[in-house]
Amino acid sequence: MEKLTYNSAKKELEAIVLAIESGEMDVDLLTDKVKRASQLIAFCKEKLTRTEKELQKILDDIV
Amino acid sequence: MSEKSLSLTELNYRVRDAIRDHLPETYWLRAETSDVRPNRNGHCYLEFIEKDPAGQSIVAKARGVIWSGVFQMLSAYFEKETGQPFTSGLNVLVRVSVDFHELYGYSLTVADIDPSFTLGGIARQRQLVLKQLEEEGVLTLNKELTLPEPSNRIAVISSPTAAGYEDFRDQLLKNKPGLVFYTRLFPAVMQGERSEASIIAALEKIFHYRDLFDAVAIIRGGGATSDLSCFDSYGVAVHVAQFPLPVVSGIGHERDITVLDMVAHTRAKTPTAVAEFFINDTWKTFSDLIALQDRVVSASETIAMKEENLLFSLSKEVIHQSMRLLQKETAGMQQIMETMRHALKRHLLQQYHLMENREQFVRMISPGNVLRRGYTLTLKDGKIITSLQDLGVDDIIETRFRDGTSFSRVTGLHSSDNPPEKKQA
Repeated sequence: MEKLTYNSAKKELEAIVLAIESGEMDVDLLTDKVKRASQLIAFCKEKLTRTEKELQKILDDIV
Repeated sequence: MSEKSLSLTELNYRVRDAIRDHLPETYWLRAETSDVRPNRNGHCYLEFIEKDPAGQSIVAKARGVIWSGVFQMLSAYFEKETGQPFTSGLNVLVRVSVDFHELYGYSLTVADIDPSFTLGGIARQRQLVLKQLEEEGVLTLNKELTLPEPSNRIAVISSPTAAGYEDFRDQLLKNKPGLVFYTRLFPAVMQGERSEASIIAALEKIFHYRDLFDAVAIIRGGGATSDLSCFDSYGVAVHVAQFPLPVVSGIGHERDITVLDMVAHTRAKTPTAVAEFFINDTWKTFSDLIALQDRVVSASETIAMKEENLLFSLSKEVIHQSMRLLQKETAGMQQIMETMRHALKRHLLQQYHLMENREQFVRMISPGNVLRRGYTLTLKDGKIITSLQDLGVDDIIETRFRDGTSFSRVTGLHSSDNPPEKKQA
């Protein structure tokens, strides 16, 4: 699976939102889609609110 | 020979006198300042230079001095009017007197300054730089960049010791919503002659690591206003304009907008304002995310509700339809039962009539009726005799009539094939 980035996650999330909002989503798919959407939201939120020590270290290590 | 020779002092006196005689007034001089050095005593020594039109080589040069009493007044006035201190690299209009000292030589003593000339010069210089950038098609390149989402990895160009840098970091890292930021300082000299090259070197280094950052902040702040000419320079501007990451400027200059501010993606006034800008931007990113989340929730709720309603009306329909079907079936059954009841009744009636007929018939052929019609029954020992074979002579037989029974003795037996002779009467 492709590595998730903020951008790819947000794009996927927007696509899911539009699909759900179109009202044409199969109800059997809905649960899966909502589950996926929550995963993506959690991922994006974490990018904005949780410090990745590793990333700061990479920046600190620039010589 | 002795009358014809002069000591150096004598010669210098003559030069001094000649200058005093021929240049007795004060003059408004246009020149560029260089090597401006205020000393301990409050006097300011400097060089005035003039460059060729290309700005490449110096074509004229003179030493200058501003005596302390004058310098204090003039420098304050100049700084107030232009928003920048009296330093090297400025095009100035100064009123000077021309002096010659036998020991120190030729120099210009400054008596007054016209800051509006410098202002106009700076403005003109800015216009020239902007025009050049525009002609090269790079003026708005950085502005056209889209700030990535999120923009929380920030390369900072600043003097490492500047208060503004600390303010920036404090503001950014202690932001109220608790958003995450990553910063990395690329130290640079932010004023003076070396600043242009130093800022460009920092930009080049960031360029090398550009994949690790979302944006660049160029900040300078705290302390007194100082030389901003590097932020008006073509060199810094052309690098910033073409930089692949959005550049946000915050060079703490309230008064006017430098070329750097013009080419940067975003201009903020102070380092703190730059931090605010990034916080607001990331907060917007965060809010957008929350809005998406709300949309997921409400859209899926809508679907769920719609499905529930659909199910509800479907179940209502099922009940309704089955009730109707049941009613129809019940009615049908009743009809059938009714029909059956009728049929049964008719059938029973028929049977009843049939039975009645039979009964009548049976009654007609019953022994009572038969006897009544004149037939008799013959019995022996209580058993009906239907054949002559069962009888013997002298048997006592019983003959039943309609109204009673007679007993007789058999006196003779004749089979139907062998009738008895007619007895003589």
